[in-house]
Amino acid sequence: MNLVDLMLKIDRRIIYLVLAVVVILPLIIPSVQHVRVMPPVEKLYNAVDTIPVDKVLMIDFDYDPQTQPELEPMALAILRHAFKKRIKVLALSLYVQPLGLAKAALDQVVGEFNAEAKSRADSIIYGRDYIFLGWQPPPLVPILGMGESITNVYKKDYYGNQTDTLPLMKRVKNYNQVGLLICISSGDPPLWWVGYAQNRFGLKVGVGCTAVSASDYYPYLQTGQFSGLMVGMKGAAEYEELVETRLAIYKHRKASTALPSLTYAHLVMMIFIIIGNIGYFIKRRKK
Amino acid sequence: MNISLDPWVWISALLSLAIFSFLYKDNPFYKFAEHVFVGAANGYAVTFYWHNILVPSLFDPLFRQGKLIYILSLIIGVLYFTRFIPRLSWLVRIPIGITIGYYTGASIPATIQANIIKQIQGTILTKENFLAWHAGNTGILWSIILFIGVLCTLSYFYFSKEHKGLLKISSRIGIIFIMVGFGAAFGYTVMARVSLLIGRLQYLLGPWLGIIK
Repeated sequence: MNLVDLMLKIDRRIIYLVLAVVVILPLIIPSVQHVRVMPPVEKLYNAVDTIPVDKVLMIDFDYDPQTQPELEPMALAILRHAFKKRIKVLALSLYVQPLGLAKAALDQVVGEFNAEAKSRADSIIYGRDYIFLGWQPPPLVPILGMGESITNVYKKDYYGNQTDTLPLMKRVKNYNQVGLLICISSGDPPLWWVGYAQNRFGLKVGVGCTAVSASDYYPYLQTGQFSGLMVGMKGAAEYEELVETRLAIYKHRKASTALPSLTYAHLVMMIFIIIGNIGYFIKRRKK
Repeated sequence: MNISLDPWVWISALLSLAIFSFLYKDNPFYKFAEHVFVGAANGYAVTFYWHNILVPSLFDPLFRQGKLIYILSLIIGVLYFTRFIPRLSWLVRIPIGITIGYYTGASIPATIQANIIKQIQGTILTKENFLAWHAGNTGILWSIILFIGVLCTLSYFYFSKEHKGLLKISSRIGIIFIMVGFGAAFGYTVMARVSLLIGRLQYLLGPWLGIIK
């Protein structure tokens, strides 16, 4: 086999091996990569930052283990932002699978804040500062129903408490008291929130999505239907950057530490694409 | 290096490696891990539906609290199973009809408003749209490019007339925009897949092997 044939028929296992090496090495030997914050993420950050004190932030956790690496860092960064600014949080999920991950994210961030709290007033207290509403199927029913009454849709929270007995729910009736909804999702839910909750009840919607969904969602940012957009691991790293630089929260930045691997993996793929194309053109010229 | 002693971490790490082994070739380890995943996911969902939906929302109100109106929901739900009885299978149309009717009624106005009217408004050359681009003075330029791009792309999909003359030019320009769109989508897809690989490797190198934080 000559060189041109070799360029055209690189064994996929060699490509996987090279890809594994360039992904693993930057994780073991970390390098600093500057994170440049782009307008869509900054817009989302500002939307969270400017939630009025009498309103709450609603977070729809719709990621499952398959998309956890991209979306979980977003959830953690948003929760850190909200709790640092003492913004009240209502968490929920439109699917079953994300429930455990949502609880883990809430527990982690609440634990971080409470470990540094000096008094009960400083602490993040369940029922007072945040509530995990849980899950109610099918998705359309809670989205539409919460426009009328949140406690009617979620009579009990994730832990089995009567929601109307929780202090925070005394002043949160429906979407009128929700300053912003952020949907962290790997599928269509952001469009459902826009279609059913925004059109009908005027709810502001921000989105954190996987990179695969990005090209579908950018038009909604441009029209103003989304109040901000975070895309994939890069978007999560940008939000982490904002949380660190503007709020001085210095926690482990999972998405940011992955960026060098992401960069090198892209370079490797581009190199392989170029090699394949060069081989193709040389072969075609020979014919 | 600080290898985990948690058996659950080991199980998930070994299952991850079993799934990765498919990259070399199909093998029994991969098949085992795949079946475990499908079984666990379905088992989790079925259990959750039973305890969190069927029991509190249907069986408790009907059988414990005696709310007989819920029998309608039970009957309509049970009709789905007539699919397995050839003589009665036509009855499955009733629950399917109700479901389709509900979703169609709810989604048509929402879809038209959110995906068609708002998107058309976003394409029209207005001052608000120029500002929405976050591109400063070049917002006007980008809005015009978007406007031309949408028209040309739509013209490419107009098949009722042969692509000659002006339609040929516009459809060719449309192809360029379509290619740019595909390129962006492909780039984002690569980013997503590599991100998932990174996430799994972070787990293997972190909680399992303890090499990274």
